[in-house]
Amino acid sequence: MKQSVFGLILFFFLMLPPVADLLESIMIFHMHMQMPLLIVAGFLMGKFFLLRFPAFLEKWNEDGIAGILLFVVINLYWMLPRTMDEALSVQMIEIFKFVSLPFLAGVPLRDSWMKLTTAVKNAVIILFSFLFVGLGLVYTLSPVELCNNYLLKEQVTLGWGFLTMAACFIVYLIYTLVVDPSKYE
Amino acid sequence: MGAKAEVVQPIPFKKNENKALGISLQDAMISRVYMIVAFTALLLGGFLGLFQGLNRAGLLELPHWLNYYQILTAHGVLLVVVLTAFFTIGYFYAALSYNLGGLLPQVRKMAWIGFAMKIIGFVFAVIPILMNEASVLYTFYPPMAASPYFYIGLTLIVLGVWMCAFGAFMNVAHWRKQNKGQNLPILSYFATAVFVLLFFGSIPVAIEVLTLIPWSFGWTETVNVMLSRTLFWAFGHTLVNIWYLTAVSAWYVIVPKIIGGRRFSDTITRVVVILLVVMNIPGGFHHQIIDPGISQPVKYLHVFMSLAIAFPSLMTAYAMFSVFERTARKKGGTGLLGWYKKLPWGDVRFLAPMIAMIAFIPGGAGGIAQTTNQLNQVAHNTLWIVGHFHLTVGTSVVLTFFGISYWLVPYISGRTLTPKINKLGVIQTLIWTAGMLFMSGAMHWVGLLGAPRRTSYTTYFDNATALSWNPYLMFLAVGGTLLIIGVVMQVYAVFYLMFRAPKGKTEFPIAEAEDKEMKTPYWTERWGTWIVVMLLLIAMGYVIPLVDFIGNAPPGSPPFKTW
Ligand code: HEM
Ligand SMILES: [Cu+2]
Repeated sequence: MKQSVFGLILFFFLMLPPVADLLESIMIFHMHMQMPLLIVAGFLMGKFFLLRFPAFLEKWNEDGIAGILLFVVINLYWMLPRTMDEALSVQMIEIFKFVSLPFLAGVPLRDSWMKLTTAVKNAVIILFSFLFVGLGLVYTLSPVELCNNYLLKEQVTLGWGFLTMAACFIVYLIYTLVVDPSKYE
Repeated sequence: MGAKAEVVQPIPFKKNENKALGISLQDAMISRVYMIVAFTALLLGGFLGLFQGLNRAGLLELPHWLNYYQILTAHGVLLVVVLTAFFTIGYFYAALSYNLGGLLPQVRKMAWIGFAMKIIGFVFAVIPILMNEASVLYTFYPPMAASPYFYIGLTLIVLGVWMCAFGAFMNVAHWRKQNKGQNLPILSYFATAVFVLLFFGSIPVAIEVLTLIPWSFGWTETVNVMLSRTLFWAFGHTLVNIWYLTAVSAWYVIVPKIIGGRRFSDTITRVVVILLVVMNIPGGFHHQIIDPGISQPVKYLHVFMSLAIAFPSLMTAYAMFSVFERTARKKGGTGLLGWYKKLPWGDVRFLAPMIAMIAFIPGGAGGIAQTTNQLNQVAHNTLWIVGHFHLTVGTSVVLTFFGISYWLVPYISGRTLTPKINKLGVIQTLIWTAGMLFMSGAMHWVGLLGAPRRTSYTTYFDNATALSWNPYLMFLAVGGTLLIIGVVMQVYAVFYLMFRAPKGKTEFPIAEAEDKEMKTPYWTERWGTWIVVMLLLIAMGYVIPLVDFIGNAPPGSPPFKTW
């Protein structure tokens, strides 16, 4: 339960106008700091939902697939340049961001991850690696601004952010491929 | 310090615990040679430090063939590269050998190859320094350019360190295959963390140096200065935390044993280690708070990265005092603070690391102050900074190393610590403490008054402000003189313990965890995962500035020789 409280505190902290302003003022902080932290907040708060609605989650998310799909869809949505722009200019969309990332991505991730088989987990990581490489290339190579609110230079930075994250995922995948844990554990 | 009443007979520990295995001769040889190099560096570097201190107080004019910046470069390289690297590797290789049932033959070979590479690299680096061709100080910031051989030497040193790191990883992996599902013994766990940091932390500086070599040969015309500085501090800051982690390993594991207690919770200890490894490298930006080219919001967010390190440090402080209090109370100490009398103040193996820990309280506080933007404007590049790291590295870390040497050197030499040398060590520790109080205290203060670091003695044409620094600089020289006495005593103790002390068995003092009945969760052992987390944090910390420095680079700089 302590975790859920921390999650709630983090959630409120991120909602504070100066914090939100600072993080949204730089493109890469917006997408790679604020958004993941919102997911983390939801992930932590997820404990509460797990304890409170076990039957519901058991019924709808028995093997974790439904939850992880929801997680992926919400993430995909927020990785589009267009949606980031809208969050900055349309109040409703900004609210949707603060609701969807914690509660429709963070909470389902919490409920699903442990239920997934290793193969599905790795598939999710592979999916995100491809996605990040693709988006990284789009953001670094695009000759025009994809967002009205951010400069081209910031877009290139975000692109490199995607590429380096993808590199980390790939390192992890290679590690799981090469190292056989049963030799050690 | 209420010491006298209670001079503890230093030799035996409680005999029932940790039957000393003894160390194989071949493994011991590695650690012995590393220690000899480390303490020789201390001796040389210490004398150079004394010359600097005397010069800055206006008491010593250096001869024309040896300038201040040459000495300062050598002092920095000898003490923060050679002393620390060789001590750390020697100490942890002894720990690996003790914990894991001996080093594997090929690992031993790697340690020797690594040793040779480091020594050859060191010779390459020292010759240009002696010829005044590399007076670029140990940070070697471009556009100051040294002789290319200086950088080639540094590259060899890095490669030598990597050898030792890979050797350690191989030995650990081998042990884990033999001991499936078990947690790595705690000191080897620290060793793994330190070698992970050594390896990943030195990648950036290796990249930097590889761009500097062709530049100083004249094959490329310019170099990207901001990029180089950033790569340097990604390494430099990590190096600082490597020393710190090494010292902390002794605080958590060795000191409790020496006072006859148990060490703090095994799980929490390992969590602190993981945190220090994972959060470390992006902290480098607090050395660049005054640098241009990094936007204010980015600097501001980096303050968090930097302060995050304070958190495991505070956990450490809590853990240590909890262990002390519990142990001393068990021995009958009473009252709110009366328990401290029950601690073995007369035992150098306790006293030195204890003072080291106490010194870390003001040291850490000063660090937190410096890392904030506004206060950094005041302290940056003044003698305050030099005072700060003589307190942290020069006291907290180095005194811990000294404390370790009083059992480690006998252990690897098959000898014992005599009461006489113990006494010498106690006096040495007190002299060092007094010397640093004078020197570091004076540096801190005069730094706030504006005295610059890295500047040989000058009165700036008898400028009144500069003249007002003189009394403090005199204290600096007094402190430096005390310290050199400490250096000589310490080096004598090490060589005596290695070659002259009576033969006998010394134990490797590893305390048992207070929660040893509880199994430490296995996720603490998944280094592969932690390394990926670390890489993610590095990516987060470095993408913005690096893309900026490379994408919007100004024209690069040709090499300059400013001395
Ligand atoms: C006998 C003991 C020592 C004395 C008298 C001494 C004295 C000094 C002095 C006067 C400076 C230079 C100040 C300046 O002009 O900026 C200095 C710099 C430095 N010292 Fe020491 N020191 C001693 C021991 C140590 C130890 C044990 C370490 C580290 C393990 C250390 C690390 C350094 C470093 C890294 C610098 C900075 C070099 C630079 O700015 O490039 N010193 N020391
Ligand atoms: Cu640092």
